[in-house]
Amino acid sequence: MKLPAESDFTSRLRSAAVTARVGLWLGMCFLICFVTGLISHYAQNADHPLPFPASPVWGYRVTQGLHVSTGSAAVPLLLVKLWTVYPRLFRRPERRLRPLLLDALERGSILVLVAAAVFQLATGLANAAQWYPWTFSFRSAHYAVSWLAVGALLVHVAVKLPVIRDVLGVDVEATDHDRPSATEPGALTRRGLLRATWVGSIGAVVVTAGSTVPLLRRVSVLGVRSGSGPGGVPINKSAAAARVVAAATHPDYRLVLVNGRRTKAITRADLLTLPQHVEELPIACVEGWSASGRWGGVRVRDLLDLVGVPAGTDVLVTSLQGTGPYRTTVLHGNFADDPRTLLALSLDGEPLSLDHGFPARVVAPDRPGVLQTKWVSRIEVRT
Amino acid sequence: MSTTRWCLGLLGTALAFYGGWLLLTRGHDLGNALVWLAAGVVLHDGVLALVTVAVGLAASRLLPGPARAPVAAGLVVLGSVTLLAIPVLGRFGARADNPTLLDRDYVAGYLGLVALTAAVVGLATLVGSRRRRR
Repeated sequence: MKLPAESDFTSRLRSAAVTARVGLWLGMCFLICFVTGLISHYAQNADHPLPFPASPVWGYRVTQGLHVSTGSAAVPLLLVKLWTVYPRLFRRPERRLRPLLLDALERGSILVLVAAAVFQLATGLANAAQWYPWTFSFRSAHYAVSWLAVGALLVHVAVKLPVIRDVLGVDVEATDHDRPSATEPGALTRRGLLRATWVGSIGAVVVTAGSTVPLLRRVSVLGVRSGSGPGGVPINKSAAAARVVAAATHPDYRLVLVNGRRTKAITRADLLTLPQHVEELPIACVEGWSASGRWGGVRVRDLLDLVGVPAGTDVLVTSLQGTGPYRTTVLHGNFADDPRTLLALSLDGEPLSLDHGFPARVVAPDRPGVLQTKWVSRIEVRT
Repeated sequence: MSTTRWCLGLLGTALAFYGGWLLLTRGHDLGNALVWLAAGVVLHDGVLALVTVAVGLAASRLLPGPARAPVAAGLVVLGSVTLLAIPVLGRFGARADNPTLLDRDYVAGYLGLVALTAAVVGLATLVGSRRRRR
């Protein structure tokens, strides 16, 4: 079998006029993914040189929902865009040295861009479905490759800017930048192909976004969550998976508050005698699903006052979980002091279920779900 | 080259190198990440693109004229949604201890999408061929 030549591809749909139009939307999706991804990454960092805002309560829910939705929308866009430029993979190498080197550089940048783009969408989609068929750390690899993708994207735009400007300035059927062999009509018109791409892209969002947009729940047949669960909130990690069932239900359970030498151990029954508050707060997961719940419990600030923790202090929250990257999390001063931040004991009027973090869990506004620590055993001043 | 392009290109190069450095130093299992990066390119350029060409050729030979455009549009939509559906159709992340995860009948949902696409494609073909006859 011999490799095809660029001239073997004759469809006039494989045109820069189509590529640039699809690429424009694809670029915007990647940019939204990048920015919302940076927000999510920063929110999960233990150190916040600039405080992450606790308001609006739905902030993270929206940015992370956008992150996963624009990623889904990018799948059809990327596939169609790559389809339109596929013949360029088989272009003849240049003969002279300077063009040869420039061509090799461009091919290299495209290789990085395609590898990074496919990697981000594939790992992101798998992660949303909690499927981890790899051995690298998802968070650090997805973060590193996002810089690769955006960097290679900017280089690509820099290289192609004159062509992009030309073809976007004229009608989509214009042939100025077409390859000489791309003359045969395709099954669709170029407008038809673009419309099908937009339908695919919007469709990709509609069939998945119900995991975070309640209105779409019924139509999102491919959503990773239907939104149901104890108290109307789905669960990410069960008590059984975290191996906390015995410790969480043990009569000796105490919540331990620590401020240097001052400590206080409180039973769940005593927690229930402290002033109770109810807050409507979402659990918004990095995987893109979210659901709002009516949480009841004690203000974290009230608990910190019991051991004299001054305002603005970062505290460390420890879970009964023996292992796992989120066994301990940092609750930053601005969140700890927020009156909406609760050590929740109930959800939707019912005692917290084991899977939702019984005996007690942290729920704070505008925060990634992984930081809403469940099965809390200890809250201490971070040293 | 204009200043804008130089600036974009240099900024992009810097960001990409930063990403590469992060990958080298914080990726934990760099070998596996590189395999995944390469696999995406190979699977697209070497498999998916060829399948698309083959499907396109077959469709253009087998399908009657009025059906071609609707079927092509339908395949663009359904093809990408199919790739998107792989993780949930396979239920690879499902866990016995967590019934709230992957808690839909994804096969039924997917077949519903196939049926919906087929219906729209069929309708568009019918309307298209009637218009031609006039």
